[in-house]
Amino acid sequence: MGSLLFTAAFCSYVVGLIHSLVSFATKRDLFYRVALAAVGLGFGLHTAFLVFQAVDQAHFPLATLKESLAFFAWTVSLCFLISHLRFGVKAIGLFLLPLVAVLMLGTVFIKASPVPRALESYWVFLHSTFIFLAYGMLFVAFIAGFLYLFQERELKNKRPKTFYHRLPSLVVLDDLFFKFLVSGFCFMTVGLLAGVIWAEKDWVTGWQKDPKVLAALVTWGIYLVLLYLKVTAGWRGKRAALLSMAGFISALFAFLGANYFGGLHAF
Amino acid sequence: MKNLVLVGVSHHTAPIEVRERLAFPEDQISVALQQLRGEAHVQEGLIVSTCNRVEMIADSTDSNGDRFLREFLHRFHRLSPGDLDGYLYTHRCHDVVRHVFRVASSLDSMVVGEPQILSQLKTAYREAARAGSLGRSLKSLLPRAFFVAKRVRNETSIAQSPVSISSVAVELANKIFGDLTGKTILMVGAGKMGELAARNLVSSGAREVFVTNRSPERAHQLAARFHGSLVPFEHLDDYLVRADIVLVSTGASHFVLDRTHMLAVVRRRKYRPLFIIDISVPRNVDPLVNDIENIFVYDVDDLQSVIESNLDDRRREAEIAEGIINQEVENYVRRLSANHIGPLIADLRRRMEEICLQELDRHSGSLEEAQLELMERILKRTAHRLAHPLILKIKETDSSPSRRLHNLELIKQVFDLDEDP
Repeated sequence: MGSLLFTAAFCSYVVGLIHSLVSFATKRDLFYRVALAAVGLGFGLHTAFLVFQAVDQAHFPLATLKESLAFFAWTVSLCFLISHLRFGVKAIGLFLLPLVAVLMLGTVFIKASPVPRALESYWVFLHSTFIFLAYGMLFVAFIAGFLYLFQERELKNKRPKTFYHRLPSLVVLDDLFFKFLVSGFCFMTVGLLAGVIWAEKDWVTGWQKDPKVLAALVTWGIYLVLLYLKVTAGWRGKRAALLSMAGFISALFAFLGANYFGGLHAF
Repeated sequence: MKNLVLVGVSHHTAPIEVRERLAFPEDQISVALQQLRGEAHVQEGLIVSTCNRVEMIADSTDSNGDRFLREFLHRFHRLSPGDLDGYLYTHRCHDVVRHVFRVASSLDSMVVGEPQILSQLKTAYREAARAGSLGRSLKSLLPRAFFVAKRVRNETSIAQSPVSISSVAVELANKIFGDLTGKTILMVGAGKMGELAARNLVSSGAREVFVTNRSPERAHQLAARFHGSLVPFEHLDDYLVRADIVLVSTGASHFVLDRTHMLAVVRRRKYRPLFIIDISVPRNVDPLVNDIENIFVYDVDDLQSVIESNLDDRRREAEIAEGIINQEVENYVRRLSANHIGPLIADLRRRMEEICLQELDRHSGSLEEAQLELMERILKRTAHRLAHPLILKIKETDSSPSRRLHNLELIKQVFDLDEDP
């Protein structure tokens, strides 16, 4: 049942991805509507899959890398749906949907590992759920930042080409960027706090010097600076896009890379 | 569709001097239509007269119906024969269908994709309906053309990108600000072009208009026209900080806005995007200002280059549209010939019988009753057998619709058949 739901969700996403590519290439709205419906369906199936997993294995499906990737894919497709419903930004599917497909495919190739004992706490689930939601949102912000750059360049070059016609206005992109940045940052803050509480209560001593914890702090710091500059100095365009890229790379490092340096937080 | 025919001139074939001589003034169209309808060989007629084209579409009882249209055109406009040589084009049968579909879809227009031609065509259709000059052929052709035009508009983006200076300005503003509702416009200088662009922006939602000018009189009138406010030129910077869109059209021969100046402004704006349209020649805004973050400067040439690139887009979309047209013409002609086949076959059989029985009639006096009956049976069978290969040819489905239509017309001509007597 679980794998059936998973496969169905994956197939819907792929159908959505293909139609979103075609609609970008041909500028036909019909394909986009199909893509949207397919992603919506995929999202529903994916949600069902996660619920099924949780009930079936009697733990929140966010403990292993395999589960994390599937959950991350879920948050990204959620963000895609929000970008459409709330902001009407279509072109972003071009970047989010391939990621969803790759993440889903990735989970197939990762062996299921046993759930580490340390992760059997309420706080951990809160921690990881919020962190992954934050990752999804910050990824959207990162993409929105770059779409802004593309659109800005087309406007500055005065030769409207591919992106000019297909991307929304600068103000809408900036709005998308800012709102996802703020919500991503809030989720990350809550997630980190939950992690700290849990670490203080149940985890080993010396967690403060763990590479993954440090990377997460750096990431949080970068986003804090970005938010500050955006609100006070009106940063947008290239500077904001580059800083959000730095933040996202740092987040990626915290998620995957830091494990290579050893440490306690190998999950 | 017996002999559908179209005669006309357009911007492709004739200069404006010729087109204006052929144009039918609005108040004369119905008179012209009635006269056209009264012509001996014209069964239905329609006249399209716009500044870029004058076309007459008719269904004629004669296979050379275009000759009558040409004569009519000369007569109506009191031209001597030969005056229009080389300017007029003629289409027949399915070429008329294609031409009308292309014109309605704005593929034949001077600015490809412009929307007026469709409504002009609709008006022409209504005029003809009112004058009672429409019949079965045109009543089926024109509505189909309107449908095809709608299909082309929906399935291609042929009419989407703007191709005039002020509409391009509005589109660019939309690409920067999304929605223009509540945006603020600052007009520096009181030039005519600036006013035109401002009018377009205001009708797209921009709310507040400030006008500043070295000499206040003209600026005062301008501000009044937009219900805006006149601001002193010395306070230009403050309003550059407030505005979203700046229209510059002064008569100055130097840069009114330069880079260092605008660098200070953009910082005070907290990098909110600013769209500057410089409509002045010589330019009043230093092109280097465009390099400042979040300031977008477009001069007249830039707007023109956007138009060019949008026109290229339209031409690319037009190729897709041509595919739709081909498909629709095939469908239309196929349906049309299918509608004609049934009655035509019956007519053909009857005509053949007639020919054979006429011969019999001439000799009927020398035959007895029984012989006559037998001969009649034999001749009828012969007529049917003679008709058979022709009927097969008519029903043949593997040849193209236009080819079949051609065959149909040929058979109709040879045997002098007419489906509605």
